[in-house]
Amino acid sequence: MTAAPYLAIALILAIIPLFLSTYGQGLMTRFLIFALFAMSYNVVFGYAGLLSLGHAAFFGAGGYAVALLKLHAGVDLFWITAPLGLVVATLVAGLFGIIALRASGIYFLLVTFALGQMLYSLAWNVKWLNSKGMQGITGITLPDLGIPGLSLDTISFYYMVLICFIISFVLLYRLVRSPFGLALVGIREDESRMEAVGYNTWLYKYTAFVISGAFAGIAGILFAYYNFFVSPKHLGIATSFLPMVMAIMGGLGTFLGPVIGAAVYVFVETFASIFLPQRWPLILGGLFVLTIMFAREGIGVYLLRIWEKVSHRYGIAES
Amino acid sequence: MDWFVINLLNGMSYGMVLFLIASGMSIVLGAMGIINLAHGAFYMVGAFVGWTVAVKCGATFGLGILAGGLSAGLVGLAMERGLLRHLYKQPNEQVLLTFGFVYILSNVCLWVWGGWPRPPFTAKFLVGSFEIMGRSFPKARIAIILIGLILAVGLWWLQDRTRMGAIVRAGMDDKETTMGLGINLELAFAVIFFISSFIAGAAGVIGAQLLGVRTDLGMEVLLLALIVIIVGGVGSIQGALLGGILIGVIDAFGKAVFPQLAMFTMYLTMIVVLIVRPTGLLGRKI
Repeated sequence: MTAAPYLAIALILAIIPLFLSTYGQGLMTRFLIFALFAMSYNVVFGYAGLLSLGHAAFFGAGGYAVALLKLHAGVDLFWITAPLGLVVATLVAGLFGIIALRASGIYFLLVTFALGQMLYSLAWNVKWLNSKGMQGITGITLPDLGIPGLSLDTISFYYMVLICFIISFVLLYRLVRSPFGLALVGIREDESRMEAVGYNTWLYKYTAFVISGAFAGIAGILFAYYNFFVSPKHLGIATSFLPMVMAIMGGLGTFLGPVIGAAVYVFVETFASIFLPQRWPLILGGLFVLTIMFAREGIGVYLLRIWEKVSHRYGIAES
Repeated sequence: MDWFVINLLNGMSYGMVLFLIASGMSIVLGAMGIINLAHGAFYMVGAFVGWTVAVKCGATFGLGILAGGLSAGLVGLAMERGLLRHLYKQPNEQVLLTFGFVYILSNVCLWVWGGWPRPPFTAKFLVGSFEIMGRSFPKARIAIILIGLILAVGLWWLQDRTRMGAIVRAGMDDKETTMGLGINLELAFAVIFFISSFIAGAAGVIGAQLLGVRTDLGMEVLLLALIVIIVGGVGSIQGALLGGILIGVIDAFGKAVFPQLAMFTMYLTMIVVLIVRPTGLLGRKI
């Protein structure tokens, strides 16, 4: 791969918000956060082939860590909240991975669902995990970066999220292209053969699960700051569906697919809810069905194929 | 003692509704390998149609159950024949498609019936309550337990004693051989999917007394079905029955003893079962 198209996209992402309203900048931030969430999910789902229905547990764990630090300790220094959030999300993933990877196939899906829902009900029931008199934690503010004279606003927060996104993008890209990532694909395609060749497939799947949970945690930390509010919903199945839908819609097992899926989801949801506030679920649901019936490999793969045709016709060098 | 019996009966009636919700989804999952996330949405469609027939048009409750079941069954059959049929053995695509239907059906119900929740309803002769050990207990809940038991026996018979059931069980164990014996599995699958959706829709009317009729039922009922399937195990009527009753009873006692931990007892049961028996209490290997 040549880095040129990626650099061009990064440049576009860096410039566009300068011309957008605050609302548009917020929307772009939301897109990047969910793209990161979907990318992290893609490691277990797209590459290792494990259909998980509880990925929001790690996303929400990161978010709750940030929110709880603010609520109980008043801490909002990013260099304290983010590492702690990351540790919490990773620990949750480490624990859940041990339980969930005892099962495979459909049972893996059911177990991850169950674990996520258990965190959801804990967050719902335990008083310490909620702001006074409500469900969820409110009062989160944009993070303090500890630099004197700098307080974040919508656009500078966007750039902070963009930096986190780019770093995660590069790390995850290198991960899936490494021998480790290739072994995951091997496990997805034929686990017993990989075992016979001498791979400890459990350890590979477990490591992928934990790494993926950690990156979901980063997305959750950023989301808590973006949303100013976390609720039990962000741990449960309603949120777990999102990265799955985005990954499948964009193109499973391709690296860019989930990013494209996140873009489609976030922008269609927003515009549909602006122009047809009553009917947006219908449009979104219809979009899922149409994607499956007409662009089964995912919208991302579909677009890439068109791009290849165009670049072939105009003689743009293939990478 | 009366406290114990009342809670047990409450749990049993809730458990029977849970059984009705989960049985169809469990069979479809076990026999066809299809994860139908729209199963809860079928329940909701049935509940709304049943409400229209039994309450708005004032027909009998039995007719409401039939109408609810038929409408959900037809929606399910249309989805299976039109779309899902092309997606056998592709769980990822099934998940996205059926999840899309949760959105679509919920929004269509909102469109047609409006957002206001309907009060619980039941048959006219089931209004009122019995006297049990000095406490009053709603007749409708007893009726739910009876209907659930009758359906459980009926489905059990269908599964274990009929040619249809034998085909389903054979298909679960070895699909290729079953088809090689000249059995039309396509047709069998369509019938199973229709029956499964029919039960979901009928359950929507039967369970209206407990869960009400709302447009957010699609998701809520899906969660309940998944919990029951996890506890009972995938692919059998017995599993769904055991899982449903267990979760129903545990939930009733949980609410009575630790009211502040409303859903937690249910989820905890699920986790414990998963750790002890990852395939559920009566699960088949799939």
